[in-house]
Amino acid sequence: MSSVTYPRRKLTNSIMMGLCILAAGIGIAWLALILGALLYKGIAGLSASVFTEMTPPPGEAGGLLNAIAGSLAMSVIAMLVGTPIGILAGTYMAEYGRFSRLTLLVRFINDILLSAPSIVVGLFVYEMLVVPMGHFSAVAGSFALAVLVIPVVVRTTEDMLNLVPNALREAGTAIGAPRWIVIRSVAYRAASSGIVTGILLAIARISGETAPLLFTALNNQFWSSNLNAPMASLPVTIFQFALSPYEEWQQLAWTGALIITLTVLGLSIVARSLTGRKEDR
Amino acid sequence: MISAEKPAPQTTASPAKIEIRNLNFYYGETKALKSINMTLPERSVTAFIGPSGCGKSTLLRVLNRIYELYPRQRAEGEVLVDGKNILDRSQDLNMLRTKVGMVFQKPTPFPMSIYENIAFGIRLYETLSRSEIDERVEAALRRAALWNEVKDKLNASGLSLSGGQQQRLCIARTVAVKPEIILLDEPASALDPLSTAKIEELIDELRADYTIVIVTHNMQQAARVSRQTAFMYLGELVEFDDTSKIFTSPQQKRTQDYVTGRFG
Repeated sequence: MSSVTYPRRKLTNSIMMGLCILAAGIGIAWLALILGALLYKGIAGLSASVFTEMTPPPGEAGGLLNAIAGSLAMSVIAMLVGTPIGILAGTYMAEYGRFSRLTLLVRFINDILLSAPSIVVGLFVYEMLVVPMGHFSAVAGSFALAVLVIPVVVRTTEDMLNLVPNALREAGTAIGAPRWIVIRSVAYRAASSGIVTGILLAIARISGETAPLLFTALNNQFWSSNLNAPMASLPVTIFQFALSPYEEWQQLAWTGALIITLTVLGLSIVARSLTGRKEDR
Repeated sequence: MISAEKPAPQTTASPAKIEIRNLNFYYGETKALKSINMTLPERSVTAFIGPSGCGKSTLLRVLNRIYELYPRQRAEGEVLVDGKNILDRSQDLNMLRTKVGMVFQKPTPFPMSIYENIAFGIRLYETLSRSEIDERVEAALRRAALWNEVKDKLNASGLSLSGGQQQRLCIARTVAVKPEIILLDEPASALDPLSTAKIEELIDELRADYTIVIVTHNMQQAARVSRQTAFMYLGELVEFDDTSKIFTSPQQKRTQDYVTGRFG
């Protein structure tokens, strides 16, 4: 190496490094600004009444209880429906159908679903459930969220099972264990933290979705535990309140956004620590 | 198909445990084993040696039909274990594998505790009381010369053990389901010399009770642990004889060249 090229390489290296840091800084700065604004505006409205009172009519004080409960209910139902389907499909693709054409096809379609705009899913469920039923309902909202859950869980389950070394499956098979026991007791166990992470990410994904709920669960100003009727949810309430001219509503929208963000943040941290612990081993 | 043209090479006097007759093996269109004929005696160690890609691991993987996990792999011919053709369609694969155990190149403990690693296989086909399982686990760990090192931490993860210990755990797990044949696929090639020595000692102790087949790259290892050795090359069985003969007075020139290090 000549004495001329070395300083030049060092200079290029410094410049590129500087650009990388700048790019990372810009990325993180926006995130920090958003989080900062949310905290600043949201915390002001955070009080016990947010969790104990219903969404108020314009001009009155109130809370977000019916929206929080609605979001929880529909998310739980969506997870109960979507997770088993997602895990079973992912298991088929990674285990039984690893070499089949069907797997290629399902993976292709699943990837499209994964990146499909959620409003399309909302319209789909509108056509499939809301129109035949004749009204908006929490069932339709849950179903729309379940459609969003499935591709996330399918993808992470398949990926995580594919990371389990074949040597481990061969070892299970070699002591005489049937296929399904090898999958249940060896492959699932080896991939468990990754699969759980996928489920947590799916919860995080649906907890902020507005578009699929707008056409399905709609909204409800009052407490409702009827799954066959419209149900409030945090994202739709935020959407409605943030666009309103009423200050109390706008404040509740900020607070609701803060609650969702902290929930997603918490889930992501749990997901991270699960995968992190796996890597330590 | 039974080959009538040449009798299967036979080495020692002890009764035959495995008879391989005119075995061909294919990976898709590629023929990986060509008309293998050999007879492996009972309660004795047989080594398969040969350069990479010669088919020795493939041959081993036919003996418990583990290749069935993958599509486009198939075996033709006959492999008789105790006189019964295991390549027959009616052969129950899970039962075959409880009879023909296997230990792999890289240690593969299950993601469970040391105790569960062993109990898992025992519980598959036997309903035993807790104390009976405890006894079986202890016996298997003692058999694999691992008991004294792990008896105080049976609930620790199998992955927390060292590589050599993990490999002995895998041997214990294999022994625990009471197989008659143990297949070893380069069991020491990922281990340090001390762990390798322990594994070889272990093989020495196990051969009184089990029919052992070992694939190894290491010719010294084959010479140390086995009673008969098969030299394979390009999917063919070149020579199969008592280990001492293979290493001191081989009949085939290719065997001679390989064991003296002229190629491979």
